[in-house]
Order: sequence, then structure tokens, then C-alpha cells
Amino acid sequence: MIVGGCDVGSLTSKAVVMKDGKVLGSMLIKSKARPGESAEEVMNGACAAAGVERREIMFCVGTGYGRDRIGFVNEAVSEIACHGRGARWMVPTARTIIDIGGQDCKAIRLDAEGTVTKFVTNDKCASGTGRFLEVMARLLGVGLDELGELSVRSKNPVTLANACTVWAQADVIQFLNDGVPLEDIAAGINNAMAGRMAVLVNNLGIENDVCMTGGVAKNRGVLAAIEKMLGLRLRAIRRHDPQLAGALGAALIAMDKTAGGVK
Amino acid sequence: MNGRLIEAAETLNNEFVRQWKEDGGRVVGYTCSYAPDEVFHAAGILPYRIRGYGAQETTIGDTYFGPFICSLPKCMLQLAGGGAFDFLDGVVIVPGCDSMRRLDDCWRKAGEDMAGVVPPFFFHFAVPHKFADYTVNWFEGEIRRLIEAVERHFDVRITVEALRVAIAAYNRGRVLLEELERMRRLPEPPIAGAEALSVVIAGSAMPRDAYNDLLEECILDLRAKTRCLQGRRRLMLVGSASDDTALVRFLEGDRALVVADNLCFGARFHNDRVDDGVLDPVRALAERYLRRSDCPRMYGDYRRRLEILTDAIQSASVEGVILQNIRFCDLHGAENGLFERDLEARGIPCMRIEREYGPLVETGRLKMRLDAFLERIDGKRRTA
Repeated sequence: MIVGGCDVGSLTSKAVVMKDGKVLGSMLIKSKARPGESAEEVMNGACAAAGVERREIMFCVGTGYGRDRIGFVNEAVSEIACHGRGARWMVPTARTIIDIGGQDCKAIRLDAEGTVTKFVTNDKCASGTGRFLEVMARLLGVGLDELGELSVRSKNPVTLANACTVWAQADVIQFLNDGVPLEDIAAGINNAMAGRMAVLVNNLGIENDVCMTGGVAKNRGVLAAIEKMLGLRLRAIRRHDPQLAGALGAALIAMDKTAGGVK
Repeated sequence: MNGRLIEAAETLNNEFVRQWKEDGGRVVGYTCSYAPDEVFHAAGILPYRIRGYGAQETTIGDTYFGPFICSLPKCMLQLAGGGAFDFLDGVVIVPGCDSMRRLDDCWRKAGEDMAGVVPPFFFHFAVPHKFADYTVNWFEGEIRRLIEAVERHFDVRITVEALRVAIAAYNRGRVLLEELERMRRLPEPPIAGAEALSVVIAGSAMPRDAYNDLLEECILDLRAKTRCLQGRRRLMLVGSASDDTALVRFLEGDRALVVADNLCFGARFHNDRVDDGVLDPVRALAERYLRRSDCPRMYGDYRRRLEILTDAIQSASVEGVILQNIRFCDLHGAENGLFERDLEARGIPCMRIEREYGPLVETGRLKMRLDAFLERIDGKRRTA
């Protein structure tokens, strides 16, 4: 049976098409102003990548900020549940999941069966979110995906006095004006991000294994900084793109709903 | 549901206040549930709980308070500065917390800059942070100081007999509110949490005798109701001052019900009675208000408050507790962390949220958490 998962986030929209527990195709796009339009485009893209027709999808679950505005889904499920499910599929031993999305960050704890037992999220603030990194990358004049590679080359990371996006910008501009090497500023940015996240994760309480999902999971600098701050090794995600965890989880939940659940 | 109670809760200068003023009556506002309404009732003055309800911005509040402080007193000052409380003949500031204490300074300062913002009677009514025999003595003295000030300023006499009448009226209201609470906790409640909160708030914004009559009518209507609310997830709302029925309505949606609360404007406000058998009614007021206005502002009271919550959770069959605090509310912010730790250890799902007092915004983020929390409750139901 073919199922779908569609995750309309604040910055990116993701869709996954699955059959019998295997990913047939997926797609990731920049979110548009209207969640419905993002969902249509990304799901069409995922279907094309999978080589299936939209009508062949028997059950589809929507998630993300725009989940209630996706016309074609059979059910909307919170991104906490979807990220938990998607992360568990990618790392079967995961008990704690760190997810950093475009405008929020979450820490989720699962029990042995993969059920969400507790979660914490950031409050109304861009600090510790993908938006923070996006703003900082723009200030440095580098691509978001370059920030991680840049920071691992740092020898002497700067310290940002504040994790607040607005105040951190002022710090970064000062460092740029002082001629501090870009890699040291990038490392300082990633450390600030990791520090904010570590507070959240410690608040939840860590249970091994720990993995990280969301777009920021592809930033090596943030991963290394979080590992250092939490004093543990994050389980690497290789089975699929960690940014697709929400859409993957949504597709897996869709599979559960059609009684063909795959752990 | 009685529309007049809803209107009284959702309109600051409501029909009862307007009528009271038209009849030549005087109104005194107060800022915290530790102020004894009975004193004003006995003086023939309408006691009115000052809220920040309806404030759309905090430009005035920000000017006097600065940014890093609870938004509730800022919204109160905002409304006062904009003339929303011009009907008040007096204000009693109760320093329930440090932010509220600062409201006294800020409101007085705003009065220097804006004519008419400070009413002729402006009184600082202190409340101890501990319950003990010597603090009750001290608080009794503070109530007597308030009585003297009201008598002097408004040229009235507050007699022992009038205080007894007031205590009887407010105790009757408390009995009725407890019945409302009991009905909320039924397996199939006849009233949603948002409506119940409106009913409770109305009592702080209209004459008590009229309120008691409407409340009694409301309870009779609820008893006669045949279509009750079924199958929803049962929540308890705890934490900082919240009089925002829109927030409760949002939390309830069509899938949940707030069947119990522990809020300054909610059940906490009307707990217990004033002992009407005590010879000295002022002493009885001091005992009740200091002992039973459950609030984390009181030192060494956490264990008792935890048991109050646990009892409510059991009697209302609560499936999840939402612990909310206004940003920069240290009292509830710290206590909510302890509640979360201890209630989760007892197997009760909890969710903490930090919010601003004022217009309900940023609902997207809140909805995501709420949906996940309800999913967690559903998961617990499935495995029960």
C-alpha cells in the first residue's frame, strides 16, 4: 500500500511517499506564503520522484505548522509525534530526539515502544532555531549549508554574549568589523545555538540514545558543539535525510493507520 | 448559560457597574485576590477586581515598567492610562508579587504625568508572605488600617454588623461557586471551562447579591441541562493570573475540557469560607484571606499546594495538567517546574507553557504543543 507524509514547516516543506516500509520518493522545497500551495507542490514533487500518481496514495498524514491547511491529507498529526516516529525509524535505538526546525526547537523523549512520553519546545523566540542560523549566515555572507563546514576549521571560536537573535547580530557585526576570521565567528554562532539547545535537552532529561533531526542536523559544527556540551555522542542518521524526519514520521503514521505499520 | 454573567466578565465597565454608578454608588478597584471584598461591601462600596483584560498594547505600561517584567500589571496600567478604569473612585494596590508592588509606584508616577489617572483614594494594602499567628495579627492590623482609610475617605461607617452581612453574602457566593466547581468535575460536565471561568470572573466585577442570584439561576440551568459534554480529554489549568477566556477556549477547542483549575481568577479565588462564628469579623477575614488564598507567593506552602492540585486531579479525573506562567513570573515559573517534576512522578502528564498576558497571539506554536500533549493523553488512554 502506498502512503504519504507531508510536513509543511515555517521555512521548508517536505513530503515523503512510502510503500511497504520503504521510501519511494521524497521532496523538499522552500515554503510558500500559503501552506496549501506548499503542500500541493511538495507532494506533487515527491510523487514524481517516487514515480506514482497522487491518486495512488491511499492514506496521507499532514504535519508541521501548516498541517491544518492541507486539503488532501486524511489526518493531521503534531510534528512532535511525527518527528519522534521518523527519528525512531531512522535510528531504532533513539530515546531522545533533538529537532531544530525553522522557527522552533524541540527535545522529545520516547519510551521503548517509540511513544512520546515527554517533550519540551522553545518559547516565542528565534534563539536556538533555524532562523537564528539563517540570519547569522546572511550576515557572514555564506550559505546556510556552509556554516557547519566553516566552523569545524575554527581554532579560536568567539563567544556571543547573548543567544538572542537581535543582540547576537550586533555581536557578529562587531566581530566582522574587528576582522575576526569567519570560521571563528561561525563556530561562535554554532556554539551559541548548541548552548541554547543543551538547556532545553537538559530540562527534558537525557536518555540514550540521542539523535538529531531537522535541517540543522546537517550542520556539523552544531552537532559537534551539542555533543561537547551534553558530553555524549549523537547517533548519526544515515538511513535518510534528517530534515525529512517529520514527513517520514507522518508517512509511517499513515502506514500505521492503514494497519500496515512498520517499526 | 446566563449572558449577563458573560457580559460582566468580558466588559470592564459592564451593565452592573454602570447601573451602580448611575445610582450614585462608588466603586473601588483592587489588584489581587488577597483584598477582602467584604470590607467594601460593608461600606456600601462596590469592590471591583482590576484586570488587564482587553489591553491591545502596552505602550504606557512599557514606559513606566520597562520590558523585563510581568505583562499583567503593564496591561492594568495601560488600561488605567487609557481611561478604561475612569469609573473607579478608588484603587487598592495589593503587592501579591513584586511586579504588583511596582504597579503602585508606576501608577502613582503615571498619575504625575497624566491627569486623572490616579483616583482620589489610592491605597497600598500589604499582605505578609507567611501564615502564622503573628502574621495573622499583623494582617488583621492591615485590614483595620484599610477600614479606617475607607471610612475616612468615603465618609462611611463600617460596622461589625455590616461586616457580618457582607461575610454572609460572600460565603453564600463561595458555596455556590463550589457547587459550580463540583459540576465542572462531573464525568459529563454541563459547562465548559471557558464558560465556568467567565462565571467566576463575573463575581469580581458586579454587586455580590445580584451575582449570587444570577449564579444560583445559572446552576439551576446547568442542573436541568440534558446535553452534557462527553468524551473530551480532561485538563486542569494551573499557574499565573489568567482571566482570558479566549485562552481557555483555545485550549479546549472541540477535543478537550478544562474541568478544574488553580488560577488566581479561578477556583483559588473562592476557596473556603470566612468563619462567621468568630466574635470579631475582622479577625475572621484575616484568617481566611491569609490562610486560604492559595498562591505560591506564600513561603513554605508548596507541599500543601501540591496536595490541593493532586486532590483536584483525582476528584475531576484530570488526564493532563497545563502549567502556564506569564513571562517573568518567578513565583509561578519556579513553582510550575516543581509541580511538573512531582506530578509527572505520580504519572500525571504535564505541559508547561510560558506566555504573555494580553491579546492571544502566537497560537500556532501553542497549538502544536497542545496537539502533541493531547496525543500523549490519547496514548495513555490506549494503554490504560
